[in-house]
Amino acid sequence: MNYMPGTASLIQDIDKKHLVLLRDGRTLIGYLRSIDQFANLVLHQTVERIHVGKKYGDIPRGIFVVRGENVVLLGEIDLEKESDTPLQQVSIEEILEEQRVEQQAKHESEKLKVQALKERGLSIPRADTLDEY
Amino acid sequence: MFRYQSLEDCPLDEDEDAFHALGEEDEDIDQFNDDTFGAGAVDDDWQEAHERLAELEDKPATTGEQEDGTVTDEMDLLGDHEENLAERLTKMVIDNELEDPAIMQAVQTRLPVQHPGGLNSSIWDGSAVLRRIRGPLLTQEMPSVSVLDYALPQRPPQARDEERDLSERALPRRSSSPVIGSPPVRAVPIGTPPKQAAMPNFNQQILCPKPVHIRAPMQQRYPAPYGERMSPNQLCSVPNSSLLGHPFPPNVTPVLTHLQRAQLLGGAQAGRMSPSQFARISGLVGSPLPSMNPKLLQGRVGQMVSPASGFRAFFGAPPPPAPPSAQQQQHPPCPGSHLQNLRSQPQMFRPDTTHLHPQHRRLLHQRQQQNRNQHRNLNGSAGDRGSHRNSHQEQMQKDPYANLMLQREKDWVSKIQMMQLQSTDPYLDDYYYQNYFQKLEKISATEEMHGDGPKKERTKLITPQVAKLEHAYKPVQFEGSLGKLTVSSVNNPRKMIDAVVTSRSEDDETKEKQVRDKRRQTLVTIEKTYSLLLDVEDYERRYLLSLEGERPALMEERKQKICDMYDNLRGKMPSQDRPSDDHFVQIMCIRKGKRLVARTLPFLSTEQAADILMATARNLPFLIKKDAQDEVLPCLLRPFSHVLYHLPLGTVTSLLQQLANLPHSATALAPANLHLSAVLQNKFGLSLLYLVLSRGEELQSSDAATELMQDNQWTELMLMATRELLRIPQAALAKPVSTPSNLLALFSRYVDQQKLNLLETKLQLVQGIR
Repeated sequence: MNYMPGTASLIQDIDKKHLVLLRDGRTLIGYLRSIDQFANLVLHQTVERIHVGKKYGDIPRGIFVVRGENVVLLGEIDLEKESDTPLQQVSIEEILEEQRVEQQAKHESEKLKVQALKERGLSIPRADTLDEY
Repeated sequence: MFRYQSLEDCPLDEDEDAFHALGEEDEDIDQFNDDTFGAGAVDDDWQEAHERLAELEDKPATTGEQEDGTVTDEMDLLGDHEENLAERLTKMVIDNELEDPAIMQAVQTRLPVQHPGGLNSSIWDGSAVLRRIRGPLLTQEMPSVSVLDYALPQRPPQARDEERDLSERALPRRSSSPVIGSPPVRAVPIGTPPKQAAMPNFNQQILCPKPVHIRAPMQQRYPAPYGERMSPNQLCSVPNSSLLGHPFPPNVTPVLTHLQRAQLLGGAQAGRMSPSQFARISGLVGSPLPSMNPKLLQGRVGQMVSPASGFRAFFGAPPPPAPPSAQQQQHPPCPGSHLQNLRSQPQMFRPDTTHLHPQHRRLLHQRQQQNRNQHRNLNGSAGDRGSHRNSHQEQMQKDPYANLMLQREKDWVSKIQMMQLQSTDPYLDDYYYQNYFQKLEKISATEEMHGDGPKKERTKLITPQVAKLEHAYKPVQFEGSLGKLTVSSVNNPRKMIDAVVTSRSEDDETKEKQVRDKRRQTLVTIEKTYSLLLDVEDYERRYLLSLEGERPALMEERKQKICDMYDNLRGKMPSQDRPSDDHFVQIMCIRKGKRLVARTLPFLSTEQAADILMATARNLPFLIKKDAQDEVLPCLLRPFSHVLYHLPLGTVTSLLQQLANLPHSATALAPANLHLSAVLQNKFGLSLLYLVLSRGEELQSSDAATELMQDNQWTELMLMATRELLRIPQAALAKPVSTPSNLLALFSRYVDQQKLNLLETKLQLVQGIR
């Protein structure tokens, strides 16, 4: 708040650990190093965290530069509370496998739904521009 | 291309052959030939460049040695140097011809992407030198940086070309993306880990030790715009230099993996390193420190220091005393920490920014066993409170990447954000913010008046007010042109499409269309009236702000607008005597219309307001039916009650009449008065009735009592009302918004005791019964 009272700015968030949710559904966790007026972000020591059910897995990604328009939300991570999670961390392979299974199940149900609708003469047009999250 | 042209001339049967021939010829063409893309495309006079560099290195030799004399302890030394650096750097900044921070920032952000951070580079590839160029500070002085050359076309090209090219020798320069200013393409994509598992063996805060995309690592270039400037001699000396406040313990020496050695060799093509120097480096293979260290330091040094002047400062440093053990746990040098010291900005002290990702605590422990000898707990877990007590400097050291974004850049972003807040009329542009703060100020003002509590400093953002400039737009005129050229721009748009509005004829329309159009008309009327209303509501504020002379004009405007509003509401029909409520009813059917009426009423004159009331009462059952979904009618109660208090009895009576829907003349006693019963069963209706009755009672009690008692109309109406009230079962009666207290007295005048009791219970007129 010392820059501009009454406004919101990412400047106060620099060099802090953040969780960023992207429009394609990815969750990134990293240290916010730099911003600009479009809220493009530079994340350092980024980890992509995949959540499936109660499990999660971290994939280290290095440095990310995120274009501002692709950010849904971001928030500072409380480092003290970070480890207090009921979620269970698993290895990357496992979480990717879980994710694949989940995606498959979703895909199947989606297919059934579309099929059922088609039988009734309805169709839901797939809007590709919708955000994934 | 000439070949292709000739193809068309060939007869058909020869096409194939010709084509084949072409194909073969194409294969022979080296797409990435040297002449086009490679070294042949530019001058590479490395010898000349080398000599120039050597000159540069020699120059600051003396200055560097002087500065070292005052060294007492590591950190001080660092501080001193950095202060000097700071001065030099700031001087450079001021002189910076390229004021555009966009370029600077672009340059800056590009580079870190290119060269991943120091901690990571041990994993990734040591050859990626940590050239975290501190943006504008160094662009001036680092002419040889290739990226800068792309970005800064003003740079004298030739002299730089050689140096740049030397660094890129093996990579075809033009094979990089065509976008000017983009970083050169790497043979190995950024993010590729080194071939060998470079296990970082010192305390590092690493969130992601090993990137997932494991690709075959190739020989990476040793691109070193800064590296060129440092001889391997420096590489050796720097890590142990206390100048940098380097956290490495003295026993740790920089290590070059064979990969990096190869790269150094590659760099040595440039003639930057003599074989003897190189041998010295390889001789340093010792403790398994990640080999990126020298690069780290290189990069840091390059970053920190203007190449011309600063290098010597480091070179001349005598080997430092052993760094305090505390520093062993420090992370590799962070450019930011030093620059942090340079800048005397108000630091936002962030504790625990360096907490490790929990996953990597294991790794940390491993390292800690080697180097750590005590307390500084870098765990991210909640247990660590010690870090809070750390000194500011140590905090920053814990996060070696802190302040990658300079204060200057932060200010720049803030400046942009502030610029967006500039406005000519903040009340118009930023209404809610202004109002909010006015409210806050009022509250704090009242608080202050009441008690002498500590006044909370509410820092208010002062948005700069820009004077409104009147621009008279003059279309562009070209000299020497015949006539006026039509140049269309934002200010002067040109009509591109001739869209003609055709009004439909009445016959063609169907009933539904007519209805729809009518509704649209009503909506438009509502919007127009709303604009007028907002203007009128704003007049008070404008009045206060305006000058004396302008005020009458303002008042006039206001009056006119109020008249317009009323006309809009009632429907302008100057010829008729306003017999039709239709227009008004239409407005009242729409939720926004009702709210509009509620807001407009206070501004209307008494007659006008009474008129509105009448119209409402007349059509109340219809409106009630239409309001079933919105339930917005009760919003009208307050303004209606205000109006009522100004009405004389005659009006009130007629109002009641309207409510009861009785024609003036006859008093047909229908068994049930549908109009009234509908009214009674609606919350708004009942409340309105109560209000009217209450007003009547007030007038009765206040005025000359005799006059009223003789008022037959009133009496009749009262009786009718009471009859109706009694008739309707209690369950069907609506719950009024408020029950005026004088109703009991009112009823007592007209009804006998029995009925009075009934009424009491039914309507819960007595306070006790709830």
